[in-house]
Amino acid sequence: MRITSLVLALGATFALTTGIAASAHAQTVKVFVGGQERPEVMRELFAKFMAANPGVKIDLETGGATSELQQKYLNTVLSAGDTTLDVFLIDIIRPAQYASAGWIESLDKYLGADRDKIMGQYLPAYKQANMVDNKVVALPAFADAMFLYYRKDLLAKYKLAPPKTWDELAAVARTIQAGEKNPELQGISFQGKAIEGAVCTFLLPYWSQGGELVTNGKLTLDKPKAEAGLAMWRKLVDQGVAKKNIAEVATDDTRKEFQAGNVLFAVNWGYAWNHFQDGAESSVKDKVGVVSLPAMQGGKPASCIGGWQWAVSSYSKNKEASARLVRWLSSPEVSKQLAIKASNLPVYPSVYQDKEVLAANGWFADALPVVQSARSRPVTPRYSEVSEAVRVNVNSVMAGVKTPAAAVGEIENRVKRILR
Amino acid sequence: MRQRTLKSRITDPSETTLAWVLLTPAILFLLLIVAYPVGKLIYNSFFDIRLSGGSLPSFVGLDNYKMALEDALFWKSLKNTVIITVVTVPGALVAGLGLAMLANMPFKYRWPVRLALLLPWALPLAFVGLIFAWFFHSEYGLVNDLIRRIDLLIPGLGWQSQIWFNSPALTMAAICITTIWKTSSFMALILLAGLQTIPASLYEAAEVDGASKWKQFTEVTLPLLVPSMLVALIFRTLTAIQSFDIPYNMPGPGDETKTLAMYIQSNTVDYLDVGYGSTLAVFMFLLSMATTFVYLKYVRGDKE
Amino acid sequence: MSGLFSSKRLRWFAAALVILNGVFPALWILFTSLKTETELTQKPITYWPHEPTIGNFISAFQDQPLLTFLTNSLIVAGLSTLLSLFISALAAYAIARLRLRFRGLILTAIIGVSMFPLVTLMVPLFEIMRSLGLLNSYWALVLPYTVLNLPICTLMMVSFFQDIPRDIENAAMLDGCTRLSALWRIVLPLAAPGVATAAILAFVNSWDEFLLALSMNSAVAYRTLPVGIQLYQGEFAFPWPIISAALVVAIVPIVVLIVIFQEKVVSGLTSGGLKG
Repeated sequence: MRITSLVLALGATFALTTGIAASAHAQTVKVFVGGQERPEVMRELFAKFMAANPGVKIDLETGGATSELQQKYLNTVLSAGDTTLDVFLIDIIRPAQYASAGWIESLDKYLGADRDKIMGQYLPAYKQANMVDNKVVALPAFADAMFLYYRKDLLAKYKLAPPKTWDELAAVARTIQAGEKNPELQGISFQGKAIEGAVCTFLLPYWSQGGELVTNGKLTLDKPKAEAGLAMWRKLVDQGVAKKNIAEVATDDTRKEFQAGNVLFAVNWGYAWNHFQDGAESSVKDKVGVVSLPAMQGGKPASCIGGWQWAVSSYSKNKEASARLVRWLSSPEVSKQLAIKASNLPVYPSVYQDKEVLAANGWFADALPVVQSARSRPVTPRYSEVSEAVRVNVNSVMAGVKTPAAAVGEIENRVKRILR
Repeated sequence: MRQRTLKSRITDPSETTLAWVLLTPAILFLLLIVAYPVGKLIYNSFFDIRLSGGSLPSFVGLDNYKMALEDALFWKSLKNTVIITVVTVPGALVAGLGLAMLANMPFKYRWPVRLALLLPWALPLAFVGLIFAWFFHSEYGLVNDLIRRIDLLIPGLGWQSQIWFNSPALTMAAICITTIWKTSSFMALILLAGLQTIPASLYEAAEVDGASKWKQFTEVTLPLLVPSMLVALIFRTLTAIQSFDIPYNMPGPGDETKTLAMYIQSNTVDYLDVGYGSTLAVFMFLLSMATTFVYLKYVRGDKE
Repeated sequence: MSGLFSSKRLRWFAAALVILNGVFPALWILFTSLKTETELTQKPITYWPHEPTIGNFISAFQDQPLLTFLTNSLIVAGLSTLLSLFISALAAYAIARLRLRFRGLILTAIIGVSMFPLVTLMVPLFEIMRSLGLLNSYWALVLPYTVLNLPICTLMMVSFFQDIPRDIENAAMLDGCTRLSALWRIVLPLAAPGVATAAILAFVNSWDEFLLALSMNSAVAYRTLPVGIQLYQGEFAFPWPIISAALVVAIVPIVVLIVIFQEKVVSGLTSGGLKG
């Protein structure tokens, strides 16, 4: 009898200790996020995940403050096969490059049979940007697109409607500029500096005319359309609609100047809206309208997609847990949380119409059609080089150092060599 | 022949042994930290390694080098690098010499002058580029503001504010001015140390001999400063050849003002074209070697 | 160099010139750190802040652990400077004084370190540090910085050692001094301005360095100042006022340190030093 109870006691102890050991053996998933991606909001979300998944601990590392700096950092550590990072948040232009470098894990096997259904729920441009060689390599976190912000008070004053084409925009701007007699009032502000946004500057009128830059990994540049696009921007500068030093203007400069009341039309990303409505800092609160970007004559409106994606490192030692985390982070519930807490544009069309989301961000109703029509920049492993070739030439045209024809010729030469 | 006991070997080793012992730490560090990366670099330059292509590294011999020689952007960035070097090295030397001499003068309170000499050095390089880019901003920068004010003060001057970063030439000028500003204090520090080791007695002797101030400068100061000047010049030149932070943060129109270091960084870190990036780095190394040889030859020739 | 400008006014003017040259960007940073964001983009531009605020300093400390970054930078720069000075003093003495067969080659090899841009050495260096398990530690930066500063420290000391006449050491050695203690007690003190300058240059080089610090020490606990300060940026925004405040915090201790250090060197030299 005593032996039996001893064995039972031992058995129970054994079972208890292994049970404890099993739960104490938690997996740690290390997540890398840029400093600008609202880490405090991320931490709240992670806390929720950890509560629902007791075996997983999430460690957040914040890094470089801009897409460029994060990329430099990730490029260095991933080139050396660093195993400490499991999950990272990357810009929409990176998945193809990272996938072909073998740095991010294909998520197909973690999504299983539901894969196509899941991908179908997102806005189509995100499905396209996150799939390389028909494999899902990243999942979208939140969306972004380029909008045309305008001063609805000034347009109302002159009884003008928001322009549908670039030529209309120029005409409206000149009318109002002449009427206001304010030398500080810019007709339009857009990105002329050689930043990533300048690629969008090039693509907006180009896409509008139906041009495609890269098809199936090869350059398909339509030179006349490209020249027409660049010439359109150049004309805006020459006419005085845009300021002469537009080549110095980066994304936030546009935002600041519009916010100070010195700009009539602004081409900018979604983040600008909340700044404009910030009563303390903004001179244009409640005077701002949002609409799709204009089209070229005879073309269709086009916008550039932005936003960030979650990816799992292929050097990760916790791929299964990481994939689970990433899938949850990309779910409609989290998308809604991000929309409410961080004002991030959602990647699910359904979330735009959610009542609570609209209560926090009234303008999402106007934003949805723009985001739906937005297109993704060329999905190619060599995107960095392509981007550099395009943005540098856009900047040259805006600085008046190259003609549109010369710039387009240079883009063709360089991109052809890059994508050979 | 002196008896070489073990004790005497350790406490009083022969010159050569001692020399090698003293050099060991330096050599150890060099091997560990530098030899492997440099070796890998040169090795990589003979391969086509493009990390974002999904293709495996393949041996291409001298193809990368041929590609560089035919690459217009390589030549452009090389040209910009040479311009910056040729302008800012003598520029910093002259400015640094002036600053050092001024700082060496007897003042009642020396510390403000020395502080002013050290402040440019204390500002992190990356931020100097950003700060001066802001100074040269066509709308919000103080350079244009000063130009406007001076133009208002002096009638008929006709100075106009410029859009600095719209013009390659003006951007290069801005880059050179900024670089000279930052590095003249580096030069000044080294030259100041050199100035301070010149004994006052030499000047007194020259004064007694009736030499003018200028002659004192050319016959006493300059010759004795040459060794420190040389050290300063070699490093200023090597750094100038590697100019990155300032041109990166003060970009001119398009590609026009890119330097070789920027092109290397784009290829290696952004495009992940490690093979080509390594090749460009080898070119930079060759340029640096060539320049150093010229300096050292001048030193040896001078000392003969 | 006394007597080149004899009149007192000229000396004051010269001093003013030097001071203005060095100080104006630092002044600008100071003024900007007291401005608001909107005042910065006003036209015409303002110099003195019209509505000064210390909010930027508060934000600077709240948004980031600025003091941690400062401490890390001080430790990394200080350690690497000391190590550099030690190693290069030994090496410089060997090169300047002792019979050495491959003297020129060794000197070239040491200088050769400076001939490679850091960006090209970054990935292999990262690999080395990773395999040594040193990532996100002080050594990941101290070791490379020591090597980066070896060339300038060594070359400076070689040139200063060479200027010191051998007779002084020979006299000491005849009195029973060993070479090493001659180096420590005689040569180094005489070369003090060179050593001090080398120290300052090495320190500031390490202080400034950005690329390696970004890659090696990404963990917040070990982050250095240049990396930390760039984190005040947003994706699109560059908040000059807050960054200026952080820069003020970054520069002040450095300046204090250097001024004290420099003063000691100067007073040490004018009291003894070289005679004809």
